Amino acid sequence: MSYSDKVIDHYNNPRNVGQMDKSSSEVGTGLVGAPECGDVMRLQIKVNPETQVIEEAKFKTFGCGSAIASSSLATEWVKGKTVEEALTIKNTDIVKELALPPVKIHCSVLAEDAIRAAIGDWKKKNGVAETADYVSTVATN
Amino acid sequence: MPTAEEKFVDVACWSCAAPVVHAQLFCASCGKVQPAHSGADYFEVFGLSRKLAIDTTSLEREFYRLSRRLHPDVYTRASEQEQNWSLRNASLLNDAYRTLKEPIARTEYFLRLEGVEIQEEGKQASDRKNPSRVPDDLLEEVFELNMQLEEMRMTRKTGDDDPDLRQDLLTAKQQFEAQLAETDNFIQQLWQERDEALASNFDFGDQIKQRMVAALDRRRYIRNLVRDVNETLDT
Ligand code: FES
Ligand SMILES: [Zn+2]
Repeated sequence: MSYSDKVIDHYNNPRNVGQMDKSSSEVGTGLVGAPECGDVMRLQIKVNPETQVIEEAKFKTFGCGSAIASSSLATEWVKGKTVEEALTIKNTDIVKELALPPVKIHCSVLAEDAIRAAIGDWKKKNGVAETADYVSTVATN
Repeated sequence: MPTAEEKFVDVACWSCAAPVVHAQLFCASCGKVQPAHSGADYFEVFGLSRKLAIDTTSLEREFYRLSRRLHPDVYTRASEQEQNWSLRNASLLNDAYRTLKEPIARTEYFLRLEGVEIQEEGKQASDRKNPSRVPDDLLEEVFELNMQLEEMRMTRKTGDDDPDLRQDLLTAKQQFEAQLAETDNFIQQLWQERDEALASNFDFGDQIKQRMVAALDRRRYIRNLVRDVNETLDT
């Protein structure tokens, strides 16, 4: 299978690899796995408590090239967005951007799950209502 | 994969007109090779009912017996069509054997055949409660061990070998290999439960199948760990 140039670029120069202090109240951590293949991914966000803007994002992925590229891209995309904006990122956006083939779709799903998990963790820490709020806003739109 | 209809439709043997099912490699009455359906049920290829606990010794014996009957030497004087069918059947037989003899491949094949819907799959990400489909502590463990493995690879690159780290890895390797074996045993236990449920017509088959799915999910994470630990220790 051949990877697209964008995947190769993210794979060779992953953006934002690393970790942040898990115990900080401004940091949300999402640890997720893909049961299809057994790969794991951790994505962390650092949120400005005043503006709810994601100011920093880090990831660490043990998995295939597409999963590394998807999570690298995800950290780039969430930065500068508010928490609610970041929740609108869909795995299909990642698939499009990286031109992932059908067998690699679950790798992009992993990245979307990681964003959600990180945001969920941050919300829980900060007593922000869970995604139920988000779901109902979407439903009324 | 055959649809329910296809599977039960009998065809007539091209040679003697006796009824033959799609998965049969040979006609039972005249013994001539049949154009078996390429999507035939692997259990049926071996004339087995869809039971998970399979005696692999007799499976192997049957595989060799059928392989001999499909050997190209047998068909040197046969029609071109029969030669083609024998080749196609041989590859179907090989696929069926490779899948059924291996416990995990067999279980996965069985679940696909039964059309088991994997829990939560296909749901919107926002609606899925636990996308990783395994408990959090397993994920944490997997992630931590991967971090340690990476550390060890880095240390190796600089030419050092950290004996403590190596010891940790050996311990982890044993631990994960034991977990893998435990998962495999558990899956075989589920086979028994399911086969018994089938025999007694007692309908909790779906619940057992979901437990199989869960065990297979768990197994994939552990399998990766065992693979990566071994790779790191070997290099
Ligand atoms: S193959 Fe596992 S995440 Fe890509
Ligand atoms: Zn016949």
